[in-house]
Amino acid sequence: MSASLPHRSVANIRGAAPTSSSRSGSSHRERESSSHRDRGDRDRERGDRDYSGTSTPARPIPTFNTPSSLRAEEELIVVDFGTRKIQVGFAGDSAPRGIVWFGPEQQRRIGDFRDWQTDYHQDWRSKAAGGNWGRDYELWRPDVRGLELGQVGDKVEKAVREAYTKYMLIDSRPRRMVCVVPTGLPIPLLSAALDSLFHRFQPPTVSLLSSPVAVAVAAGVRSALVVDLGWNETIVTSVYEYREVATKRTVRGGRRLTEETHRFLAKELGHVQRDNRDDKQEYVLSFEECHDIANRLVWCKPFKAEKTPKSLPPQPATPEGEGLATVEESDEDKPTITITTTTTTTAGEKPLPPPPKVTTIPLRSGRSPTSVEVTFDQLSEPCENTFFDSQYSLSSFDDHEIPVHLLVYRALLQLPLDVRALCMSRIIFSGGGTTVLGLRKRIFDEVCHIVQERGWDPVYGKAKEQLRTNPKLKKRHGRHQTTNNSNSSSNNNNNSNNTLTTPGGVSPPTAASGAAGEGGTAAPASGQEEDGIWHDAANSVPEFDPIEAQLARTNPASNGRKPLQGQLRAIESLGPWAGGSLTTHLKVSTVSTIDKDQWTQHGVTGATVRQADVEAKTQQRLSWNAMNRGGREGKEPWTLGVWGAA
Amino acid sequence: MFGNNRLPAFHPGLTQSRIRDTTTGSGLWFPGLRSPPLPSESDPANDQLPLPITQEDLYDTPMAPFNPYTYIRCPCSELNPYTKRTPDVTAQGLSRAAQDDDDHTFDPRAARSNYSLYPLEYLSFCEDCHQIRCPRCVAEEIVCYYCPNCLFEVPSSNIRSEGSRCTRSCFQCPICIGPLAVNHVETPPDPNQLLSPDHASSSHSGSYILSCSYCNWSSTEIGIKFDKPNSIHMQLAKLRNGGETRLTAKERKERRKEQASQGGGGGSSTGQGEEDLDTLLDMETQFANLKSFYQNQLSDANGTGKVGGDPSAALGNLGFDAPASLSRIMSLYTGSSSLHDKKSKSRPGTMREALAPSEGLQLASLDESSAITALQDFESTTGLDAYSSTASTSQLQSQAPYLGASPLHGLTRFTSSLRPIPYLLRTKRSKRCPQCRHIISKPESKVTTTRFRIRLIAGNYIPTITIKQLIIPGLTPPPMPNLPPDTIEPLKPAQFVLTFKNPIFESVRVTLATPATTPGRFPAKVTILCPQFDIDSNTDVWEEALKDNNATSSSSQSQNLSSSTGPEGSGPGGRKRAGTLRPGTAGGASLAGEELGPEVGKVWERGRNWTSIVIEVIPASLVQTAKRDGRGPIKEDEDVLEIPMFVRIEWEAEAPEDEIMPGLSSAKGGNKDGGKEKRELAYWCVLGLGRVARTL
Repeated sequence: MSASLPHRSVANIRGAAPTSSSRSGSSHRERESSSHRDRGDRDRERGDRDYSGTSTPARPIPTFNTPSSLRAEEELIVVDFGTRKIQVGFAGDSAPRGIVWFGPEQQRRIGDFRDWQTDYHQDWRSKAAGGNWGRDYELWRPDVRGLELGQVGDKVEKAVREAYTKYMLIDSRPRRMVCVVPTGLPIPLLSAALDSLFHRFQPPTVSLLSSPVAVAVAAGVRSALVVDLGWNETIVTSVYEYREVATKRTVRGGRRLTEETHRFLAKELGHVQRDNRDDKQEYVLSFEECHDIANRLVWCKPFKAEKTPKSLPPQPATPEGEGLATVEESDEDKPTITITTTTTTTAGEKPLPPPPKVTTIPLRSGRSPTSVEVTFDQLSEPCENTFFDSQYSLSSFDDHEIPVHLLVYRALLQLPLDVRALCMSRIIFSGGGTTVLGLRKRIFDEVCHIVQERGWDPVYGKAKEQLRTNPKLKKRHGRHQTTNNSNSSSNNNNNSNNTLTTPGGVSPPTAASGAAGEGGTAAPASGQEEDGIWHDAANSVPEFDPIEAQLARTNPASNGRKPLQGQLRAIESLGPWAGGSLTTHLKVSTVSTIDKDQWTQHGVTGATVRQADVEAKTQQRLSWNAMNRGGREGKEPWTLGVWGAA
Repeated sequence: MFGNNRLPAFHPGLTQSRIRDTTTGSGLWFPGLRSPPLPSESDPANDQLPLPITQEDLYDTPMAPFNPYTYIRCPCSELNPYTKRTPDVTAQGLSRAAQDDDDHTFDPRAARSNYSLYPLEYLSFCEDCHQIRCPRCVAEEIVCYYCPNCLFEVPSSNIRSEGSRCTRSCFQCPICIGPLAVNHVETPPDPNQLLSPDHASSSHSGSYILSCSYCNWSSTEIGIKFDKPNSIHMQLAKLRNGGETRLTAKERKERRKEQASQGGGGGSSTGQGEEDLDTLLDMETQFANLKSFYQNQLSDANGTGKVGGDPSAALGNLGFDAPASLSRIMSLYTGSSSLHDKKSKSRPGTMREALAPSEGLQLASLDESSAITALQDFESTTGLDAYSSTASTSQLQSQAPYLGASPLHGLTRFTSSLRPIPYLLRTKRSKRCPQCRHIISKPESKVTTTRFRIRLIAGNYIPTITIKQLIIPGLTPPPMPNLPPDTIEPLKPAQFVLTFKNPIFESVRVTLATPATTPGRFPAKVTILCPQFDIDSNTDVWEEALKDNNATSSSSQSQNLSSSTGPEGSGPGGRKRAGTLRPGTAGGASLAGEELGPEVGKVWERGRNWTSIVIEVIPASLVQTAKRDGRGPIKEDEDVLEIPMFVRIEWEAEAPEDEIMPGLSSAKGGNKDGGKEKRELAYWCVLGLGRVARTL
């Protein structure tokens, strides 16, 4: 008794070509009667027969679809999966029809109305027991160990159903769906979500669209650095020509912010929090309240060159002489220099008014309702600790918890020159963390600052400074030369690779990266003096690129306005949902379009990574995670695209 | 139905509170507040749920009084075809759920079971498939759309174009989601106008506001007033918070057309392209710009326009020139924009990126310092609390997406930037069985009628289960003195009476099964004393009603139905201890049986269309187990004693006439007695018996 409906798409009905047997049968009959008829009659007859041949076998079982299913076919549904919410709407709309947040109310049984009971919300403690603080508010966690995947499917189903009935007001006719999914989503989770969608909503196809690409599309650019300040983690993805070329991530995200807010409030309430961030932590306030306060009042301080905020006790950075010296330390050494740079970069910043502004926060979920009075300076603490942790030196972080600004810088640094040039002037902030006031600007300024200090050189620190400035070091010149040479030669290799392997002109020529250096009006301009390596590369005479020339000829529009590059710039995007809506509306195909029957048969194991999908040149150039667009030959093998295969 | 007043006659020891919780006609009662599902339950004793809770109670014994409940698990959740695909997926660890499902009994505590459990009232029943249908496994069709506030029906064509919200004047308060009313405000007379002779005709502009009668919010707080008292939705769409007007999408399109026609061709578009980049687009405009930009690019890149390259034409045709838009439309309709062509079209370089606001590029204005200072100075400037100046999360979540907002991702922060929420429309839906496509439920299509044309609810087909604790004064040991009321003592046997009430007109055989110990962290030993029993049919309802009330009038159906059962259902109580009914048990013995308590294998009590049996549980000690297993403190609802029970019902029904035809009828068992057909139905259900005390 499966709940599967005998639904057929219109394409199936139309495309149900007459089977060879019926065709041969009809022709056989024709041959019998051919003697009595002239040719014209026969032709007409064949036409009739063919028509009946297509239509009659297509409707032997009374399909219960009304003809209006034709119309339903047009309605594509775009679902954007986030950790905390899903956004659902019709393709072509500018905003989702409904946003469904995950929460404990959804996980309750139907008919269980205890939520409305007086004082029920006081009882969050028993729910939060055992490390479950706030877990009910999430759809999934990237760590799938011990996760009930079926429950993920159930949550997805319930949320989509709520969106259908409450916001979109559509019936349960099957409709094609487009899912905007974060790229790093583990396959089990993706599979659970797809299972649930296919089983319960019977869409003929589900297409997958990666959310960073969708964000880029919704910003109108082809390449971008998407900084997704998400709930679980902050993910920095470089999108180049609609392909994801690199991803970096850190655990500093919305959940961390909420936890930091809780820690802060608990401190204000006089609870001494142990500083270990494990599940044993005792919670004194409910998740809901902390999240609310984090949304309402927590803000981010503007960038200041002296990195230690006044409200925090200035903590010494890591002890000197351990490993690489850090930027902060050089700040301490030469305060004058940093101050001058500060004034130049943050000239537009208004200094905050000196008297501390105070606000009163009522707290209702504690043991007894109370309120705390905090200054606004203090309210920026959680944000500071979550995203920057600027009291620690930049070298003291583990790989999974790099501060966001450093992550953005490293993501840019790791990119090839030309990709970086394009991406750095198309930084897009997305995700829930963008609502923290001032956070985007702070990250942006911090990145500018790092770029200014270090340039695009992975090697930094005191030793390098000494090397550069100390005239006594005789080797300096030679070594500089060698690094230069090696670097530029590697660049050249890169370039030649590009030009060799991409005859289609996939990448703009390296001359662009030269422009990157020269056109850098903002931050990187000063970087030129400090760092010679890429500067030299930029100064080299750009090679003549026949492809570029050809492009310029065929596409005169690009002649007049060269896409801006090499300059740090942030642009606004309408978000992943709108991107999905746009691409779907424009009938752009996605790499991964999963047919319902195929999924029913094979599940996630049916997905293949077709070598043909990942073009050889792409493989060479972009070593991993190549997002392949287009190139679907036939329907038979299907792929999950970036999400890989099980 | 049975009044509660009869019960004390049979159970003199029942305390009043137990009666309140446990004895109602069809007695489903769920934790939390809800209106009673059946009118018979509306006796006043039931309505006293929120008891005064002491401060101590709040934190230690958290819940309001417990009411036993029954949940039924819809069988549709057992057969997810995808998770059953075990063999190859197992290696990936994907099929844990599937493995769990197959062999083990149903665990009501499992994370997933909340999604498949339903109260009986929420379930439907397909008469043709003889299967329970839950809200998850029905196919829905929409009968009509209407606004819950003004109760106007909205044609379905409007839903797609205008969105799923009421476009008349129905709004919810952004603060408290109460309904907003349109009110006329007397604008305080302007002193200058007072002086002027015709101050009576002072401008009426902006003299209507939306106001909430619950929290006194009014649209003046966000600086919005309306000229007309009707079609507020349209007026609001043109107003930003603060009263500033805003172009709607249509107006903007027209304006752009005008510009294009004035400027003419290439000149204007380049002019637009070099529009200053700081222009703030709102979300709707940005989306529209992006869309038209992409469409242009796709059609241009398609090679229709300018591969050979007449530069001026290519530059000029940003959508304002006739040939390009024509070709764009053509390409849209000839299907050349299908999936495969996209690849050839979107060759990198041929489709450029957006470069100007008119093409949808929007530079981010990262400087949010004004908002920060507004937040910080709020108290000093207005004297109000800064915290209360910000909108709460729930307020933000209930906001309708406002496309007129300039980015910051559409999220507002201050209460001053909230907007009235137009009411979400609702639908009336008819439901079909997904398999046989028969209609299960069909409401009247008129908005204001609440009647249903067809409604096959499961309560008319499957027995209801009522639970009450069995306390026999002589036998049941008195509860421990310090035990909180309404709780079950751990480690001691407690007995519960389950009453099965048969709604159908055939007698029904019920078979029960339950795991010996309940699954989950705190296992309780469960014994069903009588796992198999019959319930008599529901035929004589009218006769009994007549006898009860001594009514003289009789309705038409009652006559032919009442003849079947004569002596059994008589008597005012209509119920008898099982002992008196059991053959071979004398009347005196039945009395003794009452004294002795329930017997194994025997029905406890039996009535006209109901049968009671006894179930015995020995709950585990919560505190000790929690200490021992080291899995942390007791979580929410873990102290509730829930018993999974498998219910199998068999009955003989008259086969529907179309199935009596020879050869077709024997689908479900033998075809005997001329058109009788054996049917069965089996499902899991969950009995919530009570809270286990946290003592010991």
